[in-house]
Amino acid sequence: MKPADAVPDRSFYLPDFCTSRAALAIVLIVELTAMLLTLAHDNVNGFWTDLARTSLFLLWVGLAGAGLLCWLGTRLGRLGVARGSLTVLLLITALIALLSMAAYALGRSTLVSDAGAAMLFPADSRSFVLRNVSIGIVVTGLALRYFYVTHEWRRNIEMQATARVNALQARIRPHFLFNSMNTIAALTRSDPALAEQAVQDLADLFRANLSDQRSTITLAEECEVARIYQRIEQLRLGSRLHVEWKIDSLPHAALVPGLLLQPLLENAIYHGIEPQPGGGTVTVTGELAGDLITIVVRNPVTDAQSVREGNRLALANVRERLALLYGERALVKSGRFDAQYIVTLRFPHIERERKSAA
Amino acid sequence: MKPRVLIVDDELPARERLRSLLADLDSASVIGEAANGEDALKQILELHPDIVLLDVRMPGMDGIEAARHLNVLEKAPAVIFTTAYDEYAVNAFDARAVGYLLKPIRKEKLAAALAHAHRLSPPQLRQLAAASAGKRRTHIAARHREGLRLIALEDVQYFLADQKYTTVRHTKGEDLIEDALRALEEEFGAAFVRIHRNALVSVRYLERIDRNAEGQYFVKLQGCPAPLQVSRRMAGELRERFRL
Repeated sequence: MKPADAVPDRSFYLPDFCTSRAALAIVLIVELTAMLLTLAHDNVNGFWTDLARTSLFLLWVGLAGAGLLCWLGTRLGRLGVARGSLTVLLLITALIALLSMAAYALGRSTLVSDAGAAMLFPADSRSFVLRNVSIGIVVTGLALRYFYVTHEWRRNIEMQATARVNALQARIRPHFLFNSMNTIAALTRSDPALAEQAVQDLADLFRANLSDQRSTITLAEECEVARIYQRIEQLRLGSRLHVEWKIDSLPHAALVPGLLLQPLLENAIYHGIEPQPGGGTVTVTGELAGDLITIVVRNPVTDAQSVREGNRLALANVRERLALLYGERALVKSGRFDAQYIVTLRFPHIERERKSAA
Repeated sequence: MKPRVLIVDDELPARERLRSLLADLDSASVIGEAANGEDALKQILELHPDIVLLDVRMPGMDGIEAARHLNVLEKAPAVIFTTAYDEYAVNAFDARAVGYLLKPIRKEKLAAALAHAHRLSPPQLRQLAAASAGKRRTHIAARHREGLRLIALEDVQYFLADQKYTTVRHTKGEDLIEDALRALEEEFGAAFVRIHRNALVSVRYLERIDRNAEGQYFVKLQGCPAPLQVSRRMAGELRERFRL
């Protein structure tokens, strides 16, 4: 099995046919098919003789087919699933037709006296070839379907695992956790009351982070979580951090996925304020126009910005959860404009009562 | 005599905490504080501390870069790194060889680190440099009468290699440094261009290319009266890349 990062999802669903493992699997499939075919019709020459003959022919087809797929290799991936599958089906069918004609010619010339041969190779070569090709199409089709389904299943499992890891990482930055702990350790001596508040804030923030990510809360609650986060960072960064809130016109009861705003504020502080010795201002603006809510988070950027690797996980996570709740009607945009990095969220204004009524 | 300590951290609560821990221990005296790498180097030159408690992550010049510059000094102070969570740095440190403390810092560990503090050795610095690969320094440090001179990378016009030393020419003068031209090229590749076997010039100061009667090429840099020789192979490339 290749490591997942070698060829990402561009890889075709068929396994690598160049391995001896694949050759063994092909032989097994061929023998099973041969057995099925032999059992399905009258055995004039006895079961074992018929099985041997059918096996012989099918082994030609199977191994030649595997050779062909091995040779095609990664080229199939470039065609995409539909065209790739069709190509494989056509190629295998052509191969079966060719091998059938060869077998027919060979069989008629060498085994013509045998009564069984007359039965195996009817007078009309076309019906022989046609029958083999039809069986071939059905078996190849089934095999392709099987490979496709197992591949999708495996990919699904991998994707679920990655998504889970990403979600965990998006929740709490270790850097933030340990720095906050250090701040609290300092405050317990210099200002115990402030230390107490910081511990409570940190607890609330963790509760919000550990709650079910699929649950929805009101916009007012989410803004409160973001403000709690700001309070903790303020202790650490002091006068370097300014956050301007212009969200008075936002409807408090609007329904949003939890942790919508806080991760954006966290990103803005982490990438926009912390790397600058003099600090800066993060601006959060919100407005309601018609039934659409727009929230914009801006932070300053410098050219030295590239030093800190961007963490796009949080943004991807917010986008995903907004889409889950509001589908096509939700929009998340982000980008750099001059000396600012701007993230825009837009989603419909829906409140709990109205949503349950709808 | 108690060792004299400089505390370097961009966060005020972190500096306060170290101050109060050191006061508790009573085995060292705090002589100053700094909030970033540049500030720290300035204070080190003035105050000559024995030990520097140096935060790894700081805005502007970070702790790793400051430590690398420090070793240009004849008498560099001992360094103890402090870090909250910094994967690359923590992985790079061999805990016995390079002193580092994880925040929140424990008093016992701070005491032990102070007792064993020593200046970084050249191999340790190379290890640090390798660990922060991909992170370009913001300054070049040169040995100087007063100890060390910091040259902002934006001010560097060119590096010129000699047999043993490298000359760095900048807007405020000229200095000798020990960095090899090849290492400098690797670190600052995007902003500099190699015009000759022995010269690496800043792209931002490129002005024009001239050709003399013998067919040799020379590049003229802004603010540098003397032209620098360009290899024949590079002349064409320079013209194409920078439209000179």
